[in-house]
Amino acid sequence: MSTVQPLILGEMPSLSKLYVNAAAQAARRRVLGTHNGSSLPATGHEVRSVTADVGNLTAYQHLIGLTARDTLPAGYLHALAFPLAMSVMNRDDFPLPLLGMIHLSNHVEQRSPVLFTEPLDIEARVENLRGHRAGTQLDVIAEIRGAGTPDIKWTGRSTYLAKGVFLPGIDKPTPPTGLTDFTPPDPTAIWHLGVDTGRAYASVSGDFNPIHLSVLSAKALGMRRSIAHGMYLASRALADVGPAKGETFSWDVTFEAPVFLPARVALEITAEQASGDGWLRSDFVAWNPHSGRRHFSGSVAPLQDSAV
Amino acid sequence: MSVNGQSNNGPHEFASPTTSGAARPVRGAVIVGGNRIPFARSGGAYTKSSNQDMLTAALDGLIARFGLQEERIGEVAAGAVLKHSRDFNLTREAVLGSALSAETPAYDLQQACATGLETVLGLANKIKLGQIDSAIAGGVDSASDAPIAVSEGLREVLLDLNRAKTLPQRLQVLSRLRPKDLAPDAPSTGEPRTGLSMGEHQALTTAQWNISREAQDELAFNSHRNLAAAYDAGFFDDLLTPYRGLARDSNLRADTTLEKLATLKPVFGKNLGAEATMTAGNSTPLTDGASTVLLASEDWADAHDLPKLATVVDGEAAAVDFVHGKDGLLMAPAFAVPRLLARNGLTLDDFDFFEIHEAFAGTVLSTLAAWEDEEFGRTRLGLDGAFGSIDRTKLNVNGSSLAAGHPFAATGGRIVASLAKMLQAKGTVDGRPARGLISICAAGGQGVVAILEAL
Repeated sequence: MSTVQPLILGEMPSLSKLYVNAAAQAARRRVLGTHNGSSLPATGHEVRSVTADVGNLTAYQHLIGLTARDTLPAGYLHALAFPLAMSVMNRDDFPLPLLGMIHLSNHVEQRSPVLFTEPLDIEARVENLRGHRAGTQLDVIAEIRGAGTPDIKWTGRSTYLAKGVFLPGIDKPTPPTGLTDFTPPDPTAIWHLGVDTGRAYASVSGDFNPIHLSVLSAKALGMRRSIAHGMYLASRALADVGPAKGETFSWDVTFEAPVFLPARVALEITAEQASGDGWLRSDFVAWNPHSGRRHFSGSVAPLQDSAV
Repeated sequence: MSVNGQSNNGPHEFASPTTSGAARPVRGAVIVGGNRIPFARSGGAYTKSSNQDMLTAALDGLIARFGLQEERIGEVAAGAVLKHSRDFNLTREAVLGSALSAETPAYDLQQACATGLETVLGLANKIKLGQIDSAIAGGVDSASDAPIAVSEGLREVLLDLNRAKTLPQRLQVLSRLRPKDLAPDAPSTGEPRTGLSMGEHQALTTAQWNISREAQDELAFNSHRNLAAAYDAGFFDDLLTPYRGLARDSNLRADTTLEKLATLKPVFGKNLGAEATMTAGNSTPLTDGASTVLLASEDWADAHDLPKLATVVDGEAAAVDFVHGKDGLLMAPAFAVPRLLARNGLTLDDFDFFEIHEAFAGTVLSTLAAWEDEEFGRTRLGLDGAFGSIDRTKLNVNGSSLAAGHPFAATGGRIVASLAKMLQAKGTVDGRPARGLISICAAGGQGVVAILEAL
């Protein structure tokens, strides 16, 4: 937990306003040529007593391929906390440009199931600013607690990269060696993702980042076509892992090549069983069936006693 | 589970039915006969025929063959895999449109490609328990006249429109409609949880079991050759009623050769690491058709002066965890058959006919390979070694789905009626009744298998 008290916001920030703000800020910084130093804001943001909208929840569950149950999926909780995370990265004292940041990896712990009727306190903060061979990276921490309680039900750590941004005083690490070659296995599933996949996920998650919406809006931001949301892909993989994971688990994903839409995505999901009947872990990996390039990989495992 | 070294005799003692109300002893269920219409490749002779049309046609022929006009049958059960929502009472509607007594009850059943065999097993069980004395099992499918659903977007708009009360509300709902919502959703053979088609799933299994292209083509060739020979010998004369100008299954290629089959290009498994071996020739085509089977207690058959071809001895369903590739989608029969045979104290050597549904040639050959595999027998079936191998000359001797086609729910009835007739002709073998095994794989990683015996 951070020692600085979070800033309590009266309501969940609007993502569309945040994107507009971020664009304005980017333009301002381009003109003025300044940024806000080499440290992250210590203050986090918090919104209290948030409840999920059941219609939006059902739409999310059906889009991801989940049966519409009354508990909130781990990926849905990420989407619920996402505007708050964005608002922290939108602060004037946040040193990196928000637009164009690349989601590198995500770690989630679902510590107890959350019913859609439960009021929730949601907090987000940023930490661990560090170098990356291609720029500067940081972690966004989100925590979801039962309203008015100290019990963390869900926590997520999203690692983002500001590509090509090098801040003074932050060392560039040496490039990682031993990047493993990937030989695609036989798939256990194929996803057929339509060109509207990004718009569909935007409408349930609220994440209307232009790079996901259309060819034109993506091109405006320098992409050749629109790309699928990383968390849409990760959430579908989590859904495909199936019921073995139970109600509490940890969920890790590392993103590699983006999925340009429309796309066919091949997946392999493997479950590792203990010598008894116990479930040890499920691993997933997704790739482009034509090029063999890996899009993302990760695992779902029983919860360990670890802090984020 | 020990399969070997047990009696060759089936376990069932058939007691005479009693009229006492309480516990009736189990009695036998016999197959009187069957009737189907020839199977047609989709887009062919039955393009405009509905499931109800075809099921009624098969039922009409059965009624005519066994003199069932005005007969009140104990129960009729049938089903279709691709079924329109308006056909919620498909079987009852077919009964009402037939010459059977209108007082004949009916229900629909659906277990993917195992639908037809499951109707036989369910109704045979009711006869065995004395709940009914006669029954008609069946199945029908049309890939040509398949139901098409409107898109989710249009469906939601239409449902919300129905709920809207005022004009502004209706206009607001209608404004949500987008051009893409007008594109319909056609049914697919894809597995909902994997997005892979059945053929792509089988291609993974075929590669896993190292089934060669040549072996698959040979199985397909035998299927066509055997089915053609059966037609020429008049085998289907009392199993089939012509319909819409067809008197033979339109997929049958009596003149096909191994050379011709070898020229076909692979259609499934082209993106896998292994060589693609599955072609349109060694995979079943989409087909339209219907089949029916008449079941009865021995007393009912005798009282109506009808033949008794074979008894329904026992059946078993199994399912595999295919979603993450632990087993192949169509491999459930590889588990169902060992369980069924163990329960009945039988081995593969105790059978005279094997009817293994040819969803794909690779399915049949993968199942046989699994049974012959030492490790599969030990680790997956819990046996001391391999489950066993079959005498290939007893396999699908009058052809199967690769040649006849496979209107999903109609395949079970086709096989049961044909096998019953073969068993009756065979009579006894080494002093025991001739015995046949049926194995049918189904979508969703399921399989249903059964044992029939000559009387």
